[in-house]
Amino acid sequence: MIPMRLRATLFAVALLAGGAWAGDQTLTPVPGAVPAPDFELPDTDGRMHRLSAYRGKTVILNFWATWCPPCREEIPSMNRAWRQLRDAEVVILAVDVGEDEDTIFVFTADYPADFPLLLDRDGTVIGEWPVKGLPTTFVIAPDGTIAYRAIGGRAWDGPGILEVVRALRGQRQGAE
Amino acid sequence: MKNCFAPLVSTVFPRQGFGGGRYAGHRAGAPGSRDMPKMVLWKWLLLLASLLPGLSLRAEVVVSTDEETGLRKWHLMEGGFEVELVQRLPDQTRGFFLARGFSGDVVGDIATSCIFQTIIRNRDGEGGGKAITVDLTQWRVHTGGKEQGIRLKEPWIASWPESSVGQASRLAFRWALFPTWQEFLPGDYNWGMTAFGVKPGSVFDLDLVWRTDGRAHRARINSIECPPDLERRR
Repeated sequence: MIPMRLRATLFAVALLAGGAWAGDQTLTPVPGAVPAPDFELPDTDGRMHRLSAYRGKTVILNFWATWCPPCREEIPSMNRAWRQLRDAEVVILAVDVGEDEDTIFVFTADYPADFPLLLDRDGTVIGEWPVKGLPTTFVIAPDGTIAYRAIGGRAWDGPGILEVVRALRGQRQGAE
Repeated sequence: MKNCFAPLVSTVFPRQGFGGGRYAGHRAGAPGSRDMPKMVLWKWLLLLASLLPGLSLRAEVVVSTDEETGLRKWHLMEGGFEVELVQRLPDQTRGFFLARGFSGDVVGDIATSCIFQTIIRNRDGEGGGKAITVDLTQWRVHTGGKEQGIRLKEPWIASWPESSVGQASRLAFRWALFPTWQEFLPGDYNWGMTAFGVKPGSVFDLDLVWRTDGRAHRARINSIECPPDLERRR
C-alpha cells in the first residue's frame, strides 16, 4: 500500500493541479495598438460615461449580465480590485448587456459594486467590441488602446492581475 | 474548481479505496502483491499528468452527478481542449427565458430542445500554447440511427417573427447561447447553452471537432442523456 503521507502529498498536488481550471489568472495581451471603440452609456443613476473621457487613465472595461454565473462570481473581486486601484488612476466600467436599472438594482443588493455599472440596453455597444461571450473584459491603456483582454471570469484582486494593471500605466505612458 | 477534480478521481477509483478490489483476479498488481503499490502509484501519476496543462493524454470522458442538483455532466479533455456538458432541466430553461420576456410557445420549443450548459476552455500552456477554434456547425449528434447538427442560435433567432419575440429577449438569447464559432487563446474559456435538438429523456452520442493550427481534432462522447421534461409528466 502507498504510505499515508505519500497519499496525502499526491492528493494535495492533484488538488492544486485541478485548481488550475479556475486559477489561470492571466490576461491575454492584445498585440498592436488597437484603439478602443468609443461609446457613451448611462450608468444606473442616469449619469453618462464616455469612454474617451477617461483617456490618461487605465480603464478596466467589463461586459456582463446579472444572469451570467461567472459574471456574478467575478464582481466581488472586481469591487475589491477597484478599492485598491482607484487611487492609481485606474477606472472600472462594467457594461451590463440587455437589462434594465431595476434588474441591476436587485442584483447589487447581493453583489455590491462601487464602480459605475453602465447599461447597454439594446446591445449596440457590445456589438462594436470583439466579444463572443460573457463575461469578457478589456484593459485599456491610458493612451486609449486595448492592452489586454480576458475571456471568462477572473479574480481581479489577485496580485498578478493588479501588478499587470498597475504596470500598464508606466509602460504605455513611456511608449507615448 | 472542485467539480473538475472530484469526478476524475471517482472514475479512476470507482467506489473503492486506494488499491481496493479493482485488481482482484489479476496476477500483477493483485492486492497484497508487490506490484500493487506500483500500479496504484502509476494511476496517480497518470491522473496528475492529465490535470497538468500542456500535457496531452488520450481523451478521457468523465461522467459525474452533482450531489446537490442531481444533474449529470460529461467532461472531456484532450491536449489543451477541455469541454464540459452539464444537463439543464427543461424547467430551468423555461424559467430563464420566461423571465426574459419570451412567450410560452417559444419557451416550450427552446426548453425541449435538449439544452446543456457547455463550458469550453483552452488549457494549453500559457504563452507558448496554441489557439483552439471551435465551430459548432461541425459537431454532430447521433441518435436513433440518425445524424444531425446541433441547433444554432443564428437561424433560430431568424425564425422568430419580429412581433413574437422582442429585441431584449433576442439579445438575452443571443448571449445566453454558446457562440457558433470562437477562437480560444490559451487560458480563455467560455460557457453558454447548447441545444442538441433531440427530445427530453433521449440519449445521444456527440462527435466534437476542434482545430489547432488548422488541423482538425475529433472526439466522441457516447450516451449523453437529455434530462426528462418533468413539466410534461405532470
